[in-house]
Amino acid sequence: MVHIDDEHDTYSIQTVNLTKAFMKKRHKGIFGFLRKNTEKEKSKKQSSEAVTIALDHVNLKIRAGELFGLLGPNGAGKTTLVKCLSTILIPDEGTAIVNGYDVLKETTMVRASIGLVVGGERTLYWKLTATDNLMYFASLYKMPRAEAKNRVNELLEMMGLLDRADERLEDYSTGMRQKIAIARALLHNPPVLLLDEPTLGLDPTFSRQIRNQIQELCKDEGKTILLATHYMYEADEMCDRVAIINNGQIVAVDTSNQLKTMVREKELVEVACVNPPLGIEAELKALCSDVDIITLIHGDEAQGKPSRIKMIGEGAEAHIGTVIDALRKRKVQITSLNIGMPTLEDVFIKLTGGAKLTEGGEAQLGGQEAQ
Amino acid sequence: MKKTDRHVRRLGMVSCPTGYTWANVKAELRAIWESNVKQWKIELAYPLNFIRQCISPVIFLLPFLIYGLVLIGGRYSPNLEALIGNGDVVTFIFTGYIIMGFIGTAVWAMGFSIRNEQWFGTMESIYITPTNRLSIVLGTALHSTVHQGISTLVEFIIIYLVFGLALNMTGILPAMMIFALMMLALYGFGILISALSLVLKEGWIVSEGLHSIMMILSPVAYPLLVLPEVARQASFVFPTVPGLIGMRMFLLQDYKPEVIGNMFLALLLLDAAWILFGSLIFRLTDIYVRKRGSLEKY
Amino acid sequence: MTQSSLRSNYFVVWNEIVKNIKFLLAYPIVFVFWAIFPIFWFIPFILQGQALVGGLSSQAFAQIAGTPEFIPFVVIGSVLNSYVLSSLYGMGESIRREAYQGTLDYVLASPCNKSFILIGKAVSESLTSTIFALSQLAISILFFGIALTVGVVMPILFILILLILGLYGIALMLAALSLRFKQAHDLAHTLEYVFYLFSPVRYPVESLPLWAQAVGKLLPLTYALIAVRSLMLLKQGIAALYIEVLVLLVIDTALILIGFYLFNWMENKTKKSGIISQY
Repeated sequence: MVHIDDEHDTYSIQTVNLTKAFMKKRHKGIFGFLRKNTEKEKSKKQSSEAVTIALDHVNLKIRAGELFGLLGPNGAGKTTLVKCLSTILIPDEGTAIVNGYDVLKETTMVRASIGLVVGGERTLYWKLTATDNLMYFASLYKMPRAEAKNRVNELLEMMGLLDRADERLEDYSTGMRQKIAIARALLHNPPVLLLDEPTLGLDPTFSRQIRNQIQELCKDEGKTILLATHYMYEADEMCDRVAIINNGQIVAVDTSNQLKTMVREKELVEVACVNPPLGIEAELKALCSDVDIITLIHGDEAQGKPSRIKMIGEGAEAHIGTVIDALRKRKVQITSLNIGMPTLEDVFIKLTGGAKLTEGGEAQLGGQEAQ
Repeated sequence: MKKTDRHVRRLGMVSCPTGYTWANVKAELRAIWESNVKQWKIELAYPLNFIRQCISPVIFLLPFLIYGLVLIGGRYSPNLEALIGNGDVVTFIFTGYIIMGFIGTAVWAMGFSIRNEQWFGTMESIYITPTNRLSIVLGTALHSTVHQGISTLVEFIIIYLVFGLALNMTGILPAMMIFALMMLALYGFGILISALSLVLKEGWIVSEGLHSIMMILSPVAYPLLVLPEVARQASFVFPTVPGLIGMRMFLLQDYKPEVIGNMFLALLLLDAAWILFGSLIFRLTDIYVRKRGSLEKY
Repeated sequence: MTQSSLRSNYFVVWNEIVKNIKFLLAYPIVFVFWAIFPIFWFIPFILQGQALVGGLSSQAFAQIAGTPEFIPFVVIGSVLNSYVLSSLYGMGESIRREAYQGTLDYVLASPCNKSFILIGKAVSESLTSTIFALSQLAISILFFGIALTVGVVMPILFILILLILGLYGIALMLAALSLRFKQAHDLAHTLEYVFYLFSPVRYPVESLPLWAQAVGKLLPLTYALIAVRSLMLLKQGIAALYIEVLVLLVIDTALILIGFYLFNWMENKTKKSGIISQY
């Protein structure tokens, strides 16, 4: 039985034990059916390796009018969660309530209540104009034609694309197409917006514009927004609350500042360096075995983003000298030292036991700091 | 569990027609129309492709005609007359071949309507709207039917000018009625194929296979009597068989009231069967792909 | 050309063949489909023939085709036509597929001679086409009474090689045009129509109007079909077909030279315009 928490009666999105697993497909080749499974293959089939748990009993409550961040690396389960909420995916267990409608039983009303924006280039018809695209989707949102026409013009003006409304999307830049995708999500004025990495692949200028727009939609129009992202600074700057997700599980939910207090000042040391040698991480772990987490995050030296060695845990500060000596012995250039100013990235690393972040997230974080 | 009033929300209000209301029917019909318009706009963005597709039915019809004429050394076949009472090879083949494009409407256009959205990348965007997915498929069906209508007109003009056709013009209207019934069943068939194409990675093989099998088992270029008895009986599962038999009776002025009556009845039964079966499989497939999570994968 | 560059070119060809065959084998059902299904496309012609003629042979047909047996005539046309299809949609569209997969940039930026990549593609297409053709022929022999004697096998193989070379030239031209014009798929379809209508795939080329016969006589498939049917149905020797062989050689040479030239020219042109890898 699903218990819907009506205590506040202002939860726009609520998930109850949401669980989703996917079977891993094995490719044995064209003549694979002729081969007998080896013992290893047989045990793999039966073991948990055959199944990927994308969401593991996720329980979330998002208040109406909240800008809620869902932060995690690639493969953490963010997109799976968004897909379950948007009714594209049917969960194996549990359910979700969106705008008061059950995603399993009242799918039509859920769809009428949400707008979805995903990152990536191809989500619109490139051979149609912006107006054609929006009018078509307006019809799918069951909007009367006259209302749709007004709304399309209003949104194009909001996006600053009214003068290019009759150009085909194939002539638009990536950022402009993403604006049209956002306009599409707003056509029917839904109370809930699901944004799955909406700034993926966009340059800093467009990314900034889109982030501003997202914040305005929340602040001025009172929309509930779930923002799934692997960019730490997006979650940090924009969101009222942030949930950190890893391996399909929510590991923490709170405001960004509260989450950062999980990493105490004495517990964080970050050493930025250039071209750290192979094996340095293992060496430091051996030298500072009493520190909970030591992790090397590779940067992009060509782009001016150094690698970073992070130490998180009790005694991290006490081992600064050890780390510096070890790096100097290996002739590694140290560019900066940061003590005790935790970021969400540090929170993530601490909560996930040192799980690595994607290159994209780190690179963007560096780029954003430069801005 | 505390009861909450599902129709009054303190959260965001949404208004969306649902269920069997006139507002919802209107909205779904509009979605079908807009889906059709969208297909036209995308197709006309490739004008050469459009022209080619209007001409291609003639390209594939001509070999049947030329081959037939060469086989018998002229236009009249005594053997054909003995089989069906009319020996005019050209008119016989033409009246059969005009449905080929409409078979394509079912197995290709409708069959790949949703799959093509995966290719465009718009599949998920469409799936999260409150419109019934069948409306998307039917919109494609409408576009394809009109398209094939244009191609058939082009075919008719070319074949009439080059070969001449001996058609019974007063039979066109009743033939169109039979054609409409046949198309309803083909739409049901197309809905089934669109469901299968979501599940099967190489769905085009199913479409190609079904297209070819329908071509063989339907009396397009030869009378049904040429087929073995078992194949003849099995062929009636396809709406093209009673459709063609009925249409030819009117177009070639070869009325057999008892046969026409049976063909009408067969088409009505096939309409109901294919539409219901196709819609059921479509619904089940929708749930299956959403459970499996393969919706956006092309 | 040094020995090491010869070896590396051979390596390119070999890897291209292996890659394409692996792609095909990754879809076993597609492999099986092409080996069997084209037969379904000519069955209506066989049934049509029986309906119109009331038997398995036609004297009216013999007056133009030289043989009253229309079933083997149609089968041979279909089997050879499958080479056309695989050339146009396989080799001809291979460049477009590379662009679609996003690998075209890397292929073209590699230091190897692109001709050898194209040779590799052509050889792999020819191999798979031949496997499919043999499969269709075997089924036709079993079910449609087609007779194939040992003595005609080598001459037929010789004609097939000549046909493949000519189709290779056309496929090169198509690949070249697909670098520049992104809707080359329509061009492949159009070429398919030309072959289907103007070559004697389903009917003798003499049954067409004179202007259409003239078009047919420019196509390598026309001569290949005449030659193979003469060998199999009219029991002629290869020596009697010297005209067809000579014409095929001339057409092949012209098509291959034009194809290579066009490909190199288009590659340079599109590299300058920067649209080479757009899909």
